[in-house]
Amino acid sequence: MSFAIETHGLHYRPGRNFELHDVSLHVPAGAVYGFLGPNGSGKTTTIRLLMGLLKPHAGSITVLGHAVPAEAPRALLATGYVPERPHLYPTLTVAESIRYHAAFYPRWDRRSGDDLLRRFGLDESRPLGRLSKGEMGKLMILLALAQAPDLLLLDEPTDGLDPVVRREVLTALLDYVSEREATVFISSHLVHELERICDWVGVMDRGRQVVELPMQSFKNGIKRLRVHGAPAQLGDTPFVVLAREYTDGASETWVVRGWQAPMDQYFGGVGASLREVVDLDLEEGFVELLRTARAPRQEA
Amino acid sequence: MFSVVLYTQWKWARIPLLLLTLAGFALPVLSVRSQYDPGLPALALLERMQRLGPLYPVLALCVGLLVAMIIWMPDRAGRHVYALSLPLPRWKFVLLRYGAGVVLVLSPVLLLGIGALVATAVTQVPPGIHAYPGGITLRFLLATLVAFSIAFAAAAGTSRLTKVVIGVLALVIALEILLSLMGITGADPILKLLEWLASPTGPLDIFAGRWMLLDA
Repeated sequence: MSFAIETHGLHYRPGRNFELHDVSLHVPAGAVYGFLGPNGSGKTTTIRLLMGLLKPHAGSITVLGHAVPAEAPRALLATGYVPERPHLYPTLTVAESIRYHAAFYPRWDRRSGDDLLRRFGLDESRPLGRLSKGEMGKLMILLALAQAPDLLLLDEPTDGLDPVVRREVLTALLDYVSEREATVFISSHLVHELERICDWVGVMDRGRQVVELPMQSFKNGIKRLRVHGAPAQLGDTPFVVLAREYTDGASETWVVRGWQAPMDQYFGGVGASLREVVDLDLEEGFVELLRTARAPRQEA
Repeated sequence: MFSVVLYTQWKWARIPLLLLTLAGFALPVLSVRSQYDPGLPALALLERMQRLGPLYPVLALCVGLLVAMIIWMPDRAGRHVYALSLPLPRWKFVLLRYGAGVVLVLSPVLLLGIGALVATAVTQVPPGIHAYPGGITLRFLLATLVAFSIAFAAAAGTSRLTKVVIGVLALVIALEILLSLMGITGADPILKLLEWLASPTGPLDIFAGRWMLLDA
């Protein structure tokens, strides 16, 4: 498998209060990789490291085969970037911003830029300082897509956008990906949004990488079980019990990780019965994952 | 690439630049028209011409400082994220900004040259006095470039660099105070620094001395 992004043991400490520790990412070429984590977990810092905007204190970064930050300009030629906050010059108009941006990218696709401009309904003569949040979001996606990148680094691109604009932006993004087979690295704390579009997931929490795995494994592995008559002490289980809640009488709800269908035999062995297996959506799985990731450190 | 950088910088700086360009044209014209009196002896005329001489380096300073600050302002406001995310080495981006800035500061210089030519063309220079429109324009150009380059370097620098510069200045001032408290005379660091800056080997020498469009 070839990787569009690969990092090993990435370490960065911008100040006393935050530290990015031992982040090792493997983003397969052509994948849509969802980079999840609560606010302040280190997503933006990681993306800035991948862009070469920051220099890591330890570890290595390879983006599209180029070592970053040493060869960042080469990697950036084929990378579309949408930062968390608008970074464009507010006094320029939409048309001027497009002209300015296009000048730096030899692969700029003018036709695609014009199409997106029409599709998004952006007024070319309007200064950026007067654009709404939604319009600015659209413009940033336009600039990232029209440069015909092989990789898109999107830092919460739909954060704060209304549902209509969010859908427009994501549709444009997916159209581009299906047409060009580009790699997308998209960060968000809106878990449900990524559930539909991503095929890989990386989860960050408090500057640490919690997990990295295919979306299918992530979604299938975490289940909610309705159990009846389970003993107080569980002993060894073939799955990991993330949470155990009593509902009524002898009934309990468990959240487990690493579940597979044949494991239901376990319950017969401990004198309990399994009433129901419920698939968790990504958001529920994400919350449970963070809960377990934090638990050992909280106990410590 | 250069043309779009030049265009954006022109857009940001166009209004102050227009005013400074007009001032560039007006300065030699007004200095000659307001001070020139054909009845005056040559020496008295030179003395009068000298009165407005300091306005040339002041204008050069204003042009250099303002243009340098204005062209970095949008990047500083955005913490340089946009500039750094563009696919070119940092030095190349800085060079583009610098080159485009130099082109912009040329407009007041050019108009000052034209103003100097116009002023000397419409004035009957008395015997023994010569007009130096080319000389003063060239000097104004150099002074503007020095001011622009220093301000450009300061404006382009990171906040860490700014802190270092402020720290060095604070150190010099502290040293001055310490020496004064200890009663040590003849080792005035601030004076020595200023002397060096304005000395013939210092970077600010271009601003010192006489700025004369008409001279002996």
